[in-house]
Amino acid sequence: MAMTPDGREAAIPEDPAVGPAAADLSSLVAAAPGDVMAPIVVANTLWTSTNPGAYLGTGPAFTHLRDLEGSDLLLSDTARWGQLEVIPTKADLIVDLIRMNSLWPLLSGLACCAIEMMSAATSKNDMDRWGMFPFRASPRQADVLIVAGTLTTKMAGPLLRLWEQMPEPKWCVAMGDCTCSGGRYKRSYSTIEGIDRLMPVDVYVPGCPPRPEGLIYGMMKLGQLVKDRRGHWPEHAIIPNVPQDV
Amino acid sequence: MTASPGTGQHPSMDDPRIMLDGQIGQFETVPPYPPRTERESEFYSLRDGEMFLNMGPQHPATHGVLRVVLKINGEQVVDLDPVLGYLHRGVEKLCENSDYHHIISQVDPLEYVSSLFTEWAPVMAFEQLLDVQVPRRAEYIRVLTGELLRISSHILYQGWIALDLGGLTPILYSFIERDEIVEMLAAITGQRMLFNYFRIGGVNGDLNHEFMSRLGDWMSRAAKQHEANIGLLNENEIFVRRMRDIGRLDRTTALRMATSGPNLRSAGVPYDVRRAHPYSVYPELDFDIPVRGTNGGGDSLDRYLLRMDEVRESLKIIDQCLHNMPDGPVMARLPRLLRPRPGRAWAAVEAPRGLYGTYVISDGTDQPFRMKIHDPSFVNMQLVGLLMKGNLIADTMAVMASLDPVMGGIDK
Amino acid sequence: MDRPLRTRLETRFADKLTGPVRQRHDQTEIRIGPGDLIEVMTALHDEPELCFELLADLAGVDTGDHMQVVYHVWSATTPDWLRVIADGLPRDNPRIPSLTGLWPGAEWMERETYDMFGIIFEGNRDLRRIYMPPDYASFPLRKDFYLPDDAARSPGGGVRHMEQTVAPVQATERVVRRTVKA
Repeated sequence: MAMTPDGREAAIPEDPAVGPAAADLSSLVAAAPGDVMAPIVVANTLWTSTNPGAYLGTGPAFTHLRDLEGSDLLLSDTARWGQLEVIPTKADLIVDLIRMNSLWPLLSGLACCAIEMMSAATSKNDMDRWGMFPFRASPRQADVLIVAGTLTTKMAGPLLRLWEQMPEPKWCVAMGDCTCSGGRYKRSYSTIEGIDRLMPVDVYVPGCPPRPEGLIYGMMKLGQLVKDRRGHWPEHAIIPNVPQDV
Repeated sequence: MTASPGTGQHPSMDDPRIMLDGQIGQFETVPPYPPRTERESEFYSLRDGEMFLNMGPQHPATHGVLRVVLKINGEQVVDLDPVLGYLHRGVEKLCENSDYHHIISQVDPLEYVSSLFTEWAPVMAFEQLLDVQVPRRAEYIRVLTGELLRISSHILYQGWIALDLGGLTPILYSFIERDEIVEMLAAITGQRMLFNYFRIGGVNGDLNHEFMSRLGDWMSRAAKQHEANIGLLNENEIFVRRMRDIGRLDRTTALRMATSGPNLRSAGVPYDVRRAHPYSVYPELDFDIPVRGTNGGGDSLDRYLLRMDEVRESLKIIDQCLHNMPDGPVMARLPRLLRPRPGRAWAAVEAPRGLYGTYVISDGTDQPFRMKIHDPSFVNMQLVGLLMKGNLIADTMAVMASLDPVMGGIDK
Repeated sequence: MDRPLRTRLETRFADKLTGPVRQRHDQTEIRIGPGDLIEVMTALHDEPELCFELLADLAGVDTGDHMQVVYHVWSATTPDWLRVIADGLPRDNPRIPSLTGLWPGAEWMERETYDMFGIIFEGNRDLRRIYMPPDYASFPLRKDFYLPDDAARSPGGGVRHMEQTVAPVQATERVVRRTVKA
């Protein structure tokens, strides 16, 4: 195969791992259209599988779980899904699961509760475990609006604007006493007594400020709400069904 | 316009936006016509090639809800106008209607990151009005917890300043440290953040075993951990080049702008309330006041490095407090219903951001007549407009973050 | 409590003080009229034996029948805080010269005082509202501005819809008293 500039073929040392190389390049070229080339077989001497039929390519052993009924392979729940190559299900269920496990919050930390929200998102209490790592800066890319901190009359307009800019489906978490009910500033002239005066709230997380574990508990509850929103996971349904196209 | 409860429409309770009237949600048009003040007419008139850019109240880098209207010429910021008030909660008015014990929990959320200092200054002012002698153990506990919180605040500052410049790692390290300190304080105060720990005449509860064990654990590795955390940023070329020579503040300007705290000390003025006007037991403690920028003023890097120096000094102070902690009561005996003498009192402490002061006017009743809170971040934010002229938009973040603003205090 | 400071102030500002120099704990207090403010503050700032360089606080006070503006300054020459009370501003038209010529950092503090009390600082280039929305009509820290609980009795408050309390329909006096006693 290696042609020296003189045109003579150079001697190619035999590499024991690779096997005997093809001596002539011309044997690789189809002599005429219609000729079928014989495949080059390079024997696999580097590793082998313990299963003799691993590389035979005979297809999946089972095509339906009912073939496995009564066998040892179904001893655990995870084994059920592991025997098939695909998981047969409806897209609706998976979409609900996907939404629940990757709720992206909007960076809407207004006051003290924002510090605890940041603390819930950082190493010790990690919200990334539930997929909530990216705190999006833009409302167009966010799912959840975690309102953390006192809402004042001046900020109400921008916050409502943010809420309206978020695309459906969206959820709202009221974190902290000030957003649930006005909190310690209920008597003040410039605060709004609870954000549910402006927007529909899904989860209220009380506390002043709530511990990061409290916020995580609230987000888990929200995940449950998200999962059961359209009624495809009926065993833990919290609210009634929502139209399918939302 | 008389409004009595019950008049006015009662909108339907089904509509979640029942309290929204036409007055919210209206931004003032930029530029506002007609301009109300001289500065507004100067700011809102555009020359050739300039435009307005609004860094709105919701922005990942404004440390809370701060709106900054930038007037830019290309990438260069010609002028800027911060708009505050998005977190104004009316604390001073609420304080006028609370008794003296309740005020301590009311003022916590100003400077929520370092809330013991926001309690310390009012408590000192009330003790002046009541002529109360604070037990020495309580003073030492106050200093100990205060310095712990100062360290936590400066470490958080390090994380935030990196976050504003785009570095996502140091904030994680900062929050690990802050979590440890805050759990320590939760062992004695019961709260992670808005502690409500200081009382008029002392502190709420004595130190306990959990606090001491956590503190001992943490102190054994605090200095080394601090050096490691600093090493994340100090030698990082991107960080240093983005912060060096940005926002240089010299001595005269800093004093004229009524700055205080690390921003003033990094401009070359060795003013620290703990040394200039000592309070509590600071005269007995041995610590230095780091000062930077004595030649021609300090830039953002100096402000950052100074706060890291202060962490070391605070560690020294905590050591001394632990060694010299006296025995005794932690709170002076006071009646439940407090009626101080009519008069005026002012007290100032050195908060991590500067001089935090409280001016109280008492009229002899159980509620103060007037309580004015002087927050350092409020005054320091005026520096942003001054230091930003001529810099690029990305440097706005560096300058604003290096001044360490906390919107709770700025907006009261 | 710095006695020499008291004598120095009494001799220097003898004609400007409207009351005695009071001292208590670590504070010294002088009272002046609003017209003398710039002169007194310039003297306090510039004279080398006074040298009050640091402006610590600028507060407005509404005493009910008149208004005051209170300044706290600090100097390296004395261990005391100095409190300067500019007294006697009338409630219907409170005007006082601005300190922004001496301390540009007083600008926002004066804006805040204007926002909360309505005191006009003459010479402040940027006297507009800082905390409340720009179209807000009241001055919240005045003594005749009541919190929303008492919005009915406030001539200045209750401007916004959400400042009006919505009382429950059946909250007659009898019901409320019975609930409170229980």
